[in-house]
Amino acid sequence: MTALAAPSDAVLVRRVLAGEVEAYAGLVARYRDRFGRFATQMLGSQEDAEEALQDAFVRGYRALGRCEDPDRFGSWLFRILVNRCRTHGAKRARRERTIVLDEIALKSAGVDGGAEAAAWREAIEWALGKLDEAQREAFLLKYVEDLSYEEMAELTGVGVSALKMRVKRACDRLRVMLREVERV
Amino acid sequence: MSDDELIERAAEELRRPVRMDPAVDARVMATVHALPRLGAARGGSGWWAWLTQPLTVRFSPLGALGGAMAVLIAAVVLVPRLTPDDGPGGVAMTTALSEAELIAGSDSTHMVQFVFVAPTAHSVSLVGDFNNWEMDATPLSAGPSRSVWTVRLPLANGRHRYAFVVDDSTWAADPSAPPAAGDDFGVPSSVITVAERSS
Repeated sequence: MTALAAPSDAVLVRRVLAGEVEAYAGLVARYRDRFGRFATQMLGSQEDAEEALQDAFVRGYRALGRCEDPDRFGSWLFRILVNRCRTHGAKRARRERTIVLDEIALKSAGVDGGAEAAAWREAIEWALGKLDEAQREAFLLKYVEDLSYEEMAELTGVGVSALKMRVKRACDRLRVMLREVERV
Repeated sequence: MSDDELIERAAEELRRPVRMDPAVDARVMATVHALPRLGAARGGSGWWAWLTQPLTVRFSPLGALGGAMAVLIAAVVLVPRLTPDDGPGGVAMTTALSEAELIAGSDSTHMVQFVFVAPTAHSVSLVGDFNNWEMDATPLSAGPSRSVWTVRLPLANGRHRYAFVVDDSTWAADPSAPPAAGDDFGVPSSVITVAERSS
């Protein structure tokens, strides 16, 4: 029984750049769920997240020749996704849409932990949606994507001090909101 | 629970994996296939030209577009996630997706092109009510990269049920197309509607 090792990002990027379009499917599949989580949590809607995700992947394909370090394709594409989420978030704000709960997350919470877990998940999603976008982005990058402040600064173009302030304010607001939920 | 523990507990919940719709892959790939190929000129001949030569219009899987469409296209996603165990012989399969296109044919039939992306598959076949679900009847051919599998066949106007079979063992339906009602074989299948051409 022989298992084929998955080709690295760099290999897939080079194959795409050499004209093998279908190699891009490997990169899309590799990062779809991982980046989809960030997009879903940033935008609060699976539909918006999928739109941003698709947009990011297509833009990534178009700009692939400018990916200077193919080994870091994931980081490079994540930056594109963060920007697409900002754009989609701005569009959504203009539409005055209400952030909705992530259907997938609710389903998984319901399966894994029952009503209590689902309620906790719902509370977190609600509180996250109440943050302003800059704070939500900073919080997710720090606490969920587990990036350093230096990595966040490189990714967002925002200074480390400002990012630390955003994360602190996000945490402060989340604490207040989650405590409120706990009391209910 | 302390404030820090509260935040950490929230973060822990948010770190749980989220599964996105695998149809995203097909939509992305359908878009990038329509873009100029990177690093190589798209020639007017050869496999890619053959693959893309049909005139196409987006096809709604809901069907019922009647005679209004000159040409139909159906983008379908198949095998959202195949684990290494799914492939016979232990071949690692991560993700596969596919695309089917309807190509203009006669008034009563249309040439239908199915495209299936499966980088690690050894064989792919198309089964459906049009070939009595015979796995040997309609094999797909692999492209030069051995990633993209294609087949073209004439289909009469009407509604057809179909599925793909990877490596003679894994059946895959299309999550972005209507699932077929009444699963005769105990495996998923999809529906594609071929409509009359309009004048």
